[in-house]
Amino acid sequence: MSQEIAVIGSPDFTTGFRLAGVRKFENVPEEEKDAALDDAVERTLADDDVGIIVMQSSDLDHLSRNTRKSVETSIEPTLVTLGGDAGSSGLREQIKRAIGIDLMDE
Amino acid sequence: MAKDVKPTRKELMEIEDRIDLSERGHDTLEQKRDGLIMEFMDILDQAQEVRGGLSENYEDAQRKLNMARAMEGDVAVRGAAAALKEHPEITTQSKNIMGVVVPVIESSRVKKSLDQRGYGLLGTSARIDEAAEAYEELLESIILAAEVETAMKKMLEEIETTKRRVNALEFKLLPDLYENQEYIEQKLEEQEREEIFRLKKIKAKKEEEEKAAKEAEAAETSDVEPVTADD
Repeated sequence: MSQEIAVIGSPDFTTGFRLAGVRKFENVPEEEKDAALDDAVERTLADDDVGIIVMQSSDLDHLSRNTRKSVETSIEPTLVTLGGDAGSSGLREQIKRAIGIDLMDE
Repeated sequence: MAKDVKPTRKELMEIEDRIDLSERGHDTLEQKRDGLIMEFMDILDQAQEVRGGLSENYEDAQRKLNMARAMEGDVAVRGAAAALKEHPEITTQSKNIMGVVVPVIESSRVKKSLDQRGYGLLGTSARIDEAAEAYEELLESIILAAEVETAMKKMLEEIETTKRRVNALEFKLLPDLYENQEYIEQKLEEQEREEIFRLKKIKAKKEEEEKAAKEAEAAETSDVEPVTADD
């Protein structure tokens, strides 16, 4: 089954991806992020045609706890965050829990 | 737990069988866990490489887009972005690593040539082309990162469940079973000792009774004999 890539973020963030041909995107202006980002993420998560979600890692802080958890642990679609450090999207925490050592420590 | 078992030989045999099975399961699961962690380490190296490339690509793409915006204006860039006709698509296949199904993501139409983009050549400048190209590159590394990170998440989940199983066997099930086994063995030994003691008691009692009977008989005969001897 062929799927698409979705981008969620401020219009500045999504424009570049649209230039590369990404069709699915959710524009959430900076000042509305606290209120509207949750809904945008939930909508994208529920979309079966989306295989990868691209977000800015700083935007994750605007999400409510539940939505953040579900998007971070989601496998289909997978979340890829840009910007910020390598220990992205809760992966670092998960590694610490499963292996017992912080392997992402550089 | 130890109080729930009946101290019978049959129960003991059953517990011994369960201990045998649990120990074999424990060894196998431990091997699986170690194998998974080894595979995970390989993927982690890959992931760190991909991550490094990703942030580099992202910075590059952002810089180029900002440049395009500054030179051409926001409207032109957005206009070009809205005109795109070809859309990248991804197809997911799966691969099996030690029983964990991980995705293999293949992409199509991410990289496009100038005329495939569809926003026209005359209306836009080379800067927009450059930005578009940089973002196409970024998308490619995002797809790679998604593949590797999904694999990592799935492996981690499997490692966690396997670890939990190993620990449950090692620290809960097996100790309980050993405790029960010991309890039954001690009980059975106790019963055996009681039985021997009981038998000894019975024997002693019987011997006493026999002795008493013999004495009584002897006394009876000695009472009668003197009369016949005198005659």
